[in-house]
Amino acid sequence: MNIGIAGVGLVGRVLALNLLQQGHTLTLFDEDTAYGDKAAGMTAAGMLAVFAELESAESVIFDHGNRSISLWPALLEQIGISDAYQQKGSIITAHPQDYKELDHFIETLKSKVPEASEIKLLDRRELTQLEPDLEQHAKAFFIPQEGQVDAQRFMKASSDYLLSHSNVTWHQNIKVDTVRSGEIAYVGKEDTFDWVFDARGLGAQKDVENLRGVRGEVFWLDAPEVNITRPTRMLHPRYKIYIVPRPNNRYIIGATEIESEDKSPMSVRSSLELLSAVYSMHSGFAEARIVNMVTNCRPTLRDNLPNIEHSTKMTRINGLYRHGYLLAPAVVEEALNKGMYK
Amino acid sequence: MTKYLASNDTWEIGGKRLNSRLLMGSALYPSPANMEDAIKISGSQIVTVSLRRQAAGEGGGNQFWDIIKSFGIEVLPNTAGSHSAKEAITTAQMAREVFGTNWVKLEVIGDQYNLQPDPFETVKAAEVLIKEGFEVFPYTTDDLVVAKRLADVGCKIIMPWGSMIGSGKGLMNPDNLIAIRKQFPDLQLVVDAGIGKPSHATQAMELGYDGVLLNSAIALAQDPVKMADAFRVAVEAGRLGYEAGTMKEREFASPSTPTIGTPFWHQFN
Repeated sequence: MNIGIAGVGLVGRVLALNLLQQGHTLTLFDEDTAYGDKAAGMTAAGMLAVFAELESAESVIFDHGNRSISLWPALLEQIGISDAYQQKGSIITAHPQDYKELDHFIETLKSKVPEASEIKLLDRRELTQLEPDLEQHAKAFFIPQEGQVDAQRFMKASSDYLLSHSNVTWHQNIKVDTVRSGEIAYVGKEDTFDWVFDARGLGAQKDVENLRGVRGEVFWLDAPEVNITRPTRMLHPRYKIYIVPRPNNRYIIGATEIESEDKSPMSVRSSLELLSAVYSMHSGFAEARIVNMVTNCRPTLRDNLPNIEHSTKMTRINGLYRHGYLLAPAVVEEALNKGMYK
Repeated sequence: MTKYLASNDTWEIGGKRLNSRLLMGSALYPSPANMEDAIKISGSQIVTVSLRRQAAGEGGGNQFWDIIKSFGIEVLPNTAGSHSAKEAITTAQMAREVFGTNWVKLEVIGDQYNLQPDPFETVKAAEVLIKEGFEVFPYTTDDLVVAKRLADVGCKIIMPWGSMIGSGKGLMNPDNLIAIRKQFPDLQLVVDAGIGKPSHATQAMELGYDGVLLNSAIALAQDPVKMADAFRVAVEAGRLGYEAGTMKEREFASPSTPTIGTPFWHQFN
């Protein structure tokens, strides 16, 4: 089939990879360049936190998340970066004065999925065996099922793959006006397809009701003195801060969550919160170098859950919010099975 | 016989006549949709919303604020995140523009970790804002003298804490809250912050407080919507209890009917 995809962010890419495997011909449209950084999937830390994200989300996230975890390895293999996937568990900890947050966290998880009762609370000795650099923490949860995708590598490798694929035409720097049944309209033109997908995220605000942006801010730090190997979250009464390790002692530190569509640079307050939190977690961050400070907005619907909408020759996918990498493969699979492949 | 349903009760705050004495915050909910359900079931008619952090930068906040406005109840913008009178005043002025209301929940923070209010800056800001025509809902500690100073500068509403924001510890010092109630029978008093469970809200209402304001206790519950319903009932129960007049406590447990076989004049010997 001849298929049009509006929006080549995370969802657009996962869609494209799926559709190419079925031998379809694709035309992609995006307002950014193929290697640009406008997509939220470019800012993400790529955590596959199937349990931890449940603290502030509904349990449907859990099922989709588990399904995605099983789908990611094949997707990454398809674009030749199998090693961008890691599943060796994650750590959840807190400062001693905030240990109550650990109780709240686990109770909330248990109320949502029975599997949460298997999550193990580690003492200092057990934690140090897993992560010697976290020795100053006396209490932490370990969630073996969780992992991460190196989001930035996924974005780059998927660009390389799609650009070089003979069945793909990629219109870069093209802002799509509207997507409707079998049609993608842009700068006064209309292209028709056998099926179209709207995966524009916040770019679809004109066509999708109740879509809003939720601002997030992250740091990239190079910290040669820090050796944390698993995604690590620190619970705090007011912030949820995570440290996600990348190769060569690079760490992604995030993320704020502010109800605003503002994409301007990081605020001083956010930077103080994020940096003092990581410094308090490991003093080795003091001499880390700030490689990047990134701000973006997550496309979000009223219930903070993803939405798939079908009509004749069209599927819209939106609202992956802070769960992009955790949900995209499963959401795309469901969208295809209940739409085009039905 | 009439049922004394609290929903027949009305009260006036900030120039508005309302039924519900439960004021709700809008932070920390799993989603805006969940918050909307919680607020609906709670019957609350006032929702607070923060501006300071959302308003900076380009085109900030509007979508979320539109959601809050769409609930169709009174919006009480707050100055959360302000650390000085000056910051709070600027935020209040911005809130007036954004929400078209002269109401403002004045919140000036004096301690970064426990978010304890700064009474000195709060009084300073209240004085300026009242002169500028704002209806000020000041968040303060349970200190009687601070409450007096707020009343002196013209506050018609005072909102002492039950305990620290987000602590869920309930009414840490009921005697202080009673002292403020006694001193100011004519002001609108709302217990703001520290409420952790429905019984805390009932207790605040039994003290004769006009309302309670809370956020975390509902938003962080495992089922926020059910908890919102629980707080609706709790606030009504406390108010009815206050109006009905509670019996005085006694120094010993006294059976109200004589125990069989024991002459009543022998019971306490």
